[in-house]
Amino acid sequence: MGRAHWVGWAGILGLFLWSAAATELSASRLLEGVPYMLDFLRRMVPPDLSVLPHALTGALQTFQIAVVGTGIAALLALPISFAAARNVAPPWLFYGARSVLNVFRAVDTLVYALFFVAAVGLGPFPGVLSVVAYTATVLAKLYSEAIEAIERGPVEAVEAAGATRLQALRWGVLPQLVPQFLSFTLYRLETNIRAAAILGFVGAGGIGFYIQTYLRMLNYPAASTVLLVLIVLVMAVDFASSRLRARLV
Amino acid sequence: MIRVRGLSKRYPGGTVALDGVDLDIAAGELVALIGPSGAGKSTLLRCLNGFVTPTAGEVQIGGATVSGATGEGLRLIRAGIGFVFQQFNLQRRLSVLENVLIGGLARTPRLRSLLGLFPATDLARARAALARVGLSGLEARRVDTLSGGQQQRVAIARVLVQEPRVILADEPMASLDPTLSETVLALLQRISEEDGITVVTSLHVLDLARRYGRRVIGLRGGRVAYDGSSEGLTEAAARRIFADAAA
Repeated sequence: MGRAHWVGWAGILGLFLWSAAATELSASRLLEGVPYMLDFLRRMVPPDLSVLPHALTGALQTFQIAVVGTGIAALLALPISFAAARNVAPPWLFYGARSVLNVFRAVDTLVYALFFVAAVGLGPFPGVLSVVAYTATVLAKLYSEAIEAIERGPVEAVEAAGATRLQALRWGVLPQLVPQFLSFTLYRLETNIRAAAILGFVGAGGIGFYIQTYLRMLNYPAASTVLLVLIVLVMAVDFASSRLRARLV
Repeated sequence: MIRVRGLSKRYPGGTVALDGVDLDIAAGELVALIGPSGAGKSTLLRCLNGFVTPTAGEVQIGGATVSGATGEGLRLIRAGIGFVFQQFNLQRRLSVLENVLIGGLARTPRLRSLLGLFPATDLARARAALARVGLSGLEARRVDTLSGGQQQRVAIARVLVQEPRVILADEPMASLDPTLSETVLALLQRISEEDGITVVTSLHVLDLARRYGRRVIGLRGGRVAYDGSSEGLTEAAARRIFADAAA
């Protein structure tokens, strides 16, 4: 233990210092930047509420992208998750499905958006597609872990009562899975609101378009209105979703 | 009611769990099954309801042959046998009432059971079973909000809904504290007496077996080492069942 232990910590420290130097980590530059940050914030108040209709339109579209994207992703994830569950799928299918999921999950929503904007053009539709692409793989992984964690006991109890196979699935397996699946899906909806909020930066619809446009125009009061709307949207969805999830699990 | 002949079970790893067990248990008897861990108590109980397929021998319950039964035949036999588990095996996220309704699934019309639209007769039977185990008023509670003792009583209510001829209980109080163990055993005893249900329960506490089973069957190394009255289970007889079990 002793020596290998210290070598390990020294290695981690070395990696950090190496990366810090490469990323030009600098306290003085941060301090020099403080006045500009304050200036930036000062220009953002008071928010320009005349752009509120734009902000609300964008927020609504972001919400809709997240809802449709998460919904389709959940449907796609369902069959994939059974293929990626060790206790259900035969080994060849399990390893195949897990590898495919790992490859697709390596790329984040925004990168998918660049791809889909190029493929189907600007607007919310490529945004939906990119949310689907990333979320389906994440949900499939989460669902499959829930399937692997199914307890045999409650299923056995249903079988012991002389239930049919279908009844054992309905009353033994589903009560263990459905609340978890719904909970994971709601959680992804929360994170997808945030992900969908920046999709507009690359032309894939939603509130991000307005944030980027106003910042480019140096119209900080307008940008701050849009940001405030985004914060309210994210908080509202988080609140509603976590309340629901608490009741499920 | 229960007839076992030459029952043997060898698991794929080579472990012999049961080695030529012969038993006859009459209707309405309450039998305590004792023995050191690994003696084959669980395997015997699980052979009785077809969870485990024996390597050799025969099990009959109420004239129906369990060993070798499969599919629909086994399902109908199981409908008449209640099984109480050590870990309760309830659906923690479902309500108390839903958990009890699971016991009646074999009788519930298929489609209605899959949709969760239980007929009034099922609901009435489930409520009556809950009243019998002293849990009236808790129907709507989620099971994971109940204490361990209450959960095991929900599991017993689930078994009562089956209106079984036989109840098998595999260490039903091993997850409970001593006072609750007494409650659960007293409940099984009362059910056996009032309804004439045959009850076979494995117990790891010798003292409880003496007090609650009029008949005690001791297993050791997969064979019947004692089969007689609880009064006849002397210290010497108990030592023979549990001898070198610690080694």
